Amino acid sequence: MPASEIAELVPQLHNVVCTVNLGCKLDLKSIALLARNAEYNPKRFAAVIMRIREPRTTALLFSSGKMVCTGGKSEEQSRLAARKYARIIQKLGFPAKFLDFKIQNMVGSCDVKFPIRLEPLVLSHQQFASYEPELFPGLVYRMIKPRIVLLIFVSGKVVLTGAKVRNTFAFSVFQDKKELLHSY
Amino acid sequence: MPGRGRCPDCGSAELVEDSHYSQNQLVCSDCGCVVTEGILTTTFSDEGNLREVTYSRSTGENEQVSRSQQRGLRRVRDLCRVLQLPPTFEDTAVAYYQQAHQLAGIRTARLQKKEVLAGCCVLITCRQRNWPLTMGTICTLLYADLDVFSGTYMQIVKLLGLDVPSLCLVDLVKTYCSSFKLFEASPSVPAKYVEDKEKMLSRTLQLVELADETWLVTGRHPLPVITAATFLAWQSLRPSDRLTCSLARFCKLANVDLPYPASSRLQELLAVLLRMAEQLAWLQVLKLDKRSVVKHIGDLLQHRHMLVRKAFRDGTAEMGAGEKELQGQGQGQGLGDEDVGSSSLELPAGKRPSSPALLLPPCMLKPPKRVCPAPPVSMVTGDEDISDSEIEQYLRTPQEVRDFQKAQAARQAAQGTPNPP
Repeated sequence: MPASEIAELVPQLHNVVCTVNLGCKLDLKSIALLARNAEYNPKRFAAVIMRIREPRTTALLFSSGKMVCTGGKSEEQSRLAARKYARIIQKLGFPAKFLDFKIQNMVGSCDVKFPIRLEPLVLSHQQFASYEPELFPGLVYRMIKPRIVLLIFVSGKVVLTGAKVRNTFAFSVFQDKKELLHSY
Repeated sequence: MPGRGRCPDCGSAELVEDSHYSQNQLVCSDCGCVVTEGILTTTFSDEGNLREVTYSRSTGENEQVSRSQQRGLRRVRDLCRVLQLPPTFEDTAVAYYQQAHQLAGIRTARLQKKEVLAGCCVLITCRQRNWPLTMGTICTLLYADLDVFSGTYMQIVKLLGLDVPSLCLVDLVKTYCSSFKLFEASPSVPAKYVEDKEKMLSRTLQLVELADETWLVTGRHPLPVITAATFLAWQSLRPSDRLTCSLARFCKLANVDLPYPASSRLQELLAVLLRMAEQLAWLQVLKLDKRSVVKHIGDLLQHRHMLVRKAFRDGTAEMGAGEKELQGQGQGQGLGDEDVGSSSLELPAGKRPSSPALLLPPCMLKPPKRVCPAPPVSMVTGDEDISDSEIEQYLRTPQEVRDFQKAQAARQAAQGTPNPP
């Protein structure tokens, strides 16, 4: 595979998870009462689950004021969604702020467009790779630097997760492709 | 001692009680004469007051091992004996169980997890010593769900930092094939179905190797492939009598479970064999199908390396060029048409040009189940203004809040009266 094609292998993001601190205590019962898009089952889970349509995301709101936002397709979408949730909480009468916004995890995928022999790959990368065909068809590759987990499938499709910054993915994919190019 | 009498030998009053040994004695300290002796044996009533100390209590062995751990260790040993593993395996598995039990996450886990942990330790030991044992077998012995087993297995491998090699396919084939009850005639197995073990094993190994080479094994559960290969090997060794026997009946005769994917593995393997048969001149004229090709498996396997090279072309190099056509957009265009046509292993021979098919995993040859359109490029910056109207659509009106509260109260009232009139 020529170098130009390797450079074009930019993973497509599918999910971004972020956290933010709203900086005030939240009354979850009152949020569940006053908001249309909230669900709250304290016996099952101690947080309000809230959803918005655009960007299509889900948020978990805890009584401490901390929030987790999932479902964004990019870092920017995730930030916009988190701001919208904070605005909803403000409108409900809480003095919500937008503190310590942080991207915690990103999930992406890419396709190297050639089949991969997983058995010799796990033999040569034993300390990083785990392949149990009785349990899961893909090989789980835990890269140390950068700290990413890759799910590599025989079809050449790769799922990447664990990055906090987008560039980490591109770097890991490039490294990975160099290893996979020749033998497998 | 004064008041205890005098020594009958020397008349001394200095008598001492000597309870140094197991028998009490009254001894004169001047001349050493034994004045009286205690009883060496105990009576029945004496023994009733004695407290026996068991061996394990005297060594303190069980004081450090909890009851659940003892139960788990017994389970590990029982599993090793049921599977007839060598004694060294038992020691290793027990050591792993003890290490695992020291981890906080395992010690406080549910009983079900600890039960499954015993199986995990045995499986890890077997894998490290290249003893072919599948997770399915362990789960059957433990009456455990594979999901629970897999979670515990992955957790324990990670926590203990163990290096667990992959299951060796060749060893698994040998063990699994040996379990088929087809090597001796019996009331349930007619003579025409009985086969020589070594011949069947040798042919099954060659078929599994062929399946591996043609991408039918990677990413799949190994047992269904081995079952399909064993069936084909058995049929091909005496096709005249065995072609009428189905895979399901074969497994029943052999007293082996039929794994669900085995039928599709069988079809895939037959399709590969048909492709290979097209490359042999004396078989091209016979217009073989999936039944008749079985008779020629011996010849095909004899020349399999050369036939695979001729029957298939390397899919890796072709993927970039033919990728768009193979994605099944329904737009065959010239070269694309031929690629799509020849990529399907199911089309009968003779109806299309005999160009080599792409050697790719079946998942890459089938069109995708649903078309995944490329997502639109997002121009979101994250700092856009948020309009009040957009936020207000997510807030309840005062009337809705009242209605919701009424509905909640009614539900609670209904739940409060379990037997309404």
